[in-house]
Amino acid sequence: MKITSLDQLKKIAEQGLKLTYPDKIKIMVGMATCGISSGADKVYRALEAKIAELGLDAALEKTGCIGFCQKEPLVDVIYPGKVRLTYEAMTPARAEALAEALQAGEIYPEQLLCRIDQEEFLVEGKTRHYANPHPPALPVDVLKYEEIPFFQKQVKVALRNCGFIHPERIEEYIARGGYTGLYKVLTSMNPEAVIAEVKASGLRGRGGAGFPTGLKWEFAYKNQSDTKYVICNADEGDPGAFMDRGILEGDPHAVIEGMAIGAFAIGAQEGYIYCRAEYPLAIHRLKIAIRQAEDLGLLGDEIFGTGFSFNLRIREGAGAFVCGEETALIASIEGRVGEPRPRPPFPAQSGLWGKPTIINNVKTWSHIAPILTRGAEWYAGFGTKSSPGTTVFAMVGKVNNTGLVEIPLGITLREMIFEIGGGIDRGRDFKAVQTGGPSGGCIPGEYLDTPVDYESLGALGSIMGSGGMIVMDERDCMVDVAKYFIDFTKDESCGKCTPCREGTLRLMEMLETITAGKGQEGDIDKLVKMSELIKKTSLCGLGQTAPNPVLSTIKYFRDEYEAHIRDQKCPAHVCKDLITFRVLDQCNGCQLCRLKCPVEAIEGAKKVVHRVIQEKCIKCGTCYEKCKFGAIVVE
Amino acid sequence: MDPARCTGCGVCLDACPIRYEVQLPPEDAARARTAYAAATDEAAVADIIASHREERGNLLPILLAVNSHFNWLPQAALEHVAGELQIPLTEVLRVASFYNAFSLVPRGKHIISVCLGTGCFVKGSPRLLDQLERRLGIRHGQTTADMLFTLEVVRCIGCCALAPAIRIGDDTFGRLTTGQADKIINTYTKTASL
Repeated sequence: MKITSLDQLKKIAEQGLKLTYPDKIKIMVGMATCGISSGADKVYRALEAKIAELGLDAALEKTGCIGFCQKEPLVDVIYPGKVRLTYEAMTPARAEALAEALQAGEIYPEQLLCRIDQEEFLVEGKTRHYANPHPPALPVDVLKYEEIPFFQKQVKVALRNCGFIHPERIEEYIARGGYTGLYKVLTSMNPEAVIAEVKASGLRGRGGAGFPTGLKWEFAYKNQSDTKYVICNADEGDPGAFMDRGILEGDPHAVIEGMAIGAFAIGAQEGYIYCRAEYPLAIHRLKIAIRQAEDLGLLGDEIFGTGFSFNLRIREGAGAFVCGEETALIASIEGRVGEPRPRPPFPAQSGLWGKPTIINNVKTWSHIAPILTRGAEWYAGFGTKSSPGTTVFAMVGKVNNTGLVEIPLGITLREMIFEIGGGIDRGRDFKAVQTGGPSGGCIPGEYLDTPVDYESLGALGSIMGSGGMIVMDERDCMVDVAKYFIDFTKDESCGKCTPCREGTLRLMEMLETITAGKGQEGDIDKLVKMSELIKKTSLCGLGQTAPNPVLSTIKYFRDEYEAHIRDQKCPAHVCKDLITFRVLDQCNGCQLCRLKCPVEAIEGAKKVVHRVIQEKCIKCGTCYEKCKFGAIVVE
Repeated sequence: MDPARCTGCGVCLDACPIRYEVQLPPEDAARARTAYAAATDEAAVADIIASHREERGNLLPILLAVNSHFNWLPQAALEHVAGELQIPLTEVLRVASFYNAFSLVPRGKHIISVCLGTGCFVKGSPRLLDQLERRLGIRHGQTTADMLFTLEVVRCIGCCALAPAIRIGDDTFGRLTTGQADKIINTYTKTASL
């Protein structure tokens, strides 16, 4: 069936509501990559078998990731007309117990994370309550969704449907107001009005650079051409960022609808989603989503019976970080080596196959439909004046709550790390937070009260980037971290321009010398000089930002560099050439470390103080971690 | 070449990346191709090319499909693709050697990708990699002698919240310790010996 009217769209929405909220108990398993890698598929299969065995009258469904990856595998139980309960850290055995409890008409009391009493249908600005009028009292003690610190400060726009709908069902997306934005645009707006709305919203590119989206669209719109293209950059190459994957796996239609709106605005007929091959599940779900949208006439020829046609294709990346740069990405879609070229001309003038092209990131696209339905003013109400709206961060590293968080711009790093993130893992001390991936920098503790927005992070020598936020504690060596990023950019430099290709190599050599304890006075200045040179002379964004991790760590953690060079010491006890492991006299000879040592570098009989054979020791740290008595020291 | 506009300056001849290669008419080129290992391989590659023939910029999708069919890019397949698409083999090789996803040497049955994304890095994935290298007796980028495992590093598989993570084939494993990684390898070794 091809949808041509709002009534038909509403009919699909009704079907979707019935699927999302059936009349019987519904069990949902979070099946994004994060869930699956922690065993959600096993939980799903266990539930499936147990439901069949018990003859339980319940619907078993998959959903995307609600963002709280730390607690995966997550299972939700929706009691029709009552409440939704979220269970954390499920295992097959726990899932079976859950099914048995449901069969007995009871609430499974273990592993409860929270109760959800209402959901927000963001696009329509409505709240749907599970129970009417009052949420039921439960025999178990459980926090509400909005009381959980991880969720409390979040405002979900891009992530509006993740973890709430079945990502492989277009009906459920439509049930939550999906494609009404596209309908509104196609039937009642002209391209100028769409662009004006996006401009007024103040939305800036969420891929990292923060260029105003509406302005970019306007450039492409004004460039006359018979053919134009829109591209979704889903080549999420920044290590430590996975929000694009989360959106594509949990709510692929949000991106598709946004792209269709963008295509209408600039006058494009074709679009590409360039998705990295490392995300097979995202590609799989995108393919399903595109097919479903085509079947309903929401992609393809004459969408909604209007004169607007838009076809969308997926292109898989092949593992090249530089392809996240827009001109390299275009080269890659054209089937060439993904090397960037100088700009101008910008893609909005001459992009894919020489035609005007706009490229936006997954997150940017997923903001478009809500902006058009709720209005620019509503969107600009979030965030700060210069950085309006919300953005998604991947909170990872040494924090207690890892996962995807969407926050209004302008909240402080401290709020993010210590409230949403729940503080530092194992009660250790915070050292730095790294934002912006290999193009960003490390921000130390004294700047924790900095608001998260484009300008403030830029002023600290870091960038917003695509939204990776990697928290580091006292056990992370900042020189080693800088080396890690330079190793990354050195590998991923495409080799086209000399400053980036050779410069990153030289930086790597210098950092290797320093971490090996062979650094000399003046090395830090040489690093700074080389870094500045690479920044000034590289061709594309990769090289121009590659030295940022070095510069920011030197700026804030110069003492650590100096300790490596002057004292041949690694204060965080990370750099292998500068540390030794030693057994203290308090060792009770339990043998655990000796057995766990991968290279038999520990000797000692039972109940006798052990000894590390330094010549054999590879400094992997296994003994240090395994020792239950604190009898092994690293120095 | 457009004979009407050619000045005969010879710059193109100097710049031509394949001027020292024997150029054959297409029909002879097909015959001169390096032999495939199995008779069915040629048909498989021909199918892949056919399914992408109409696509613009189809070299990358074709190479990805060939790479996933063989687990690597055999020379015969590259020559086949170059011949069919009328793209110089050097250009095909340039693309094939640029992207990390492609391998120009045969890889093992199970490809182990150790994630070295930042999230995994700070959570100790370099140690995981060390351990796997010791366990398998190979460095990353290499394949075990029995062709069972290839050990690779990957820059982020998007499982940062469950760091450190590795991927073996299509299966992703999160929150790994070195001991668990060993056990996982053992299960694959056992399945192989059945």
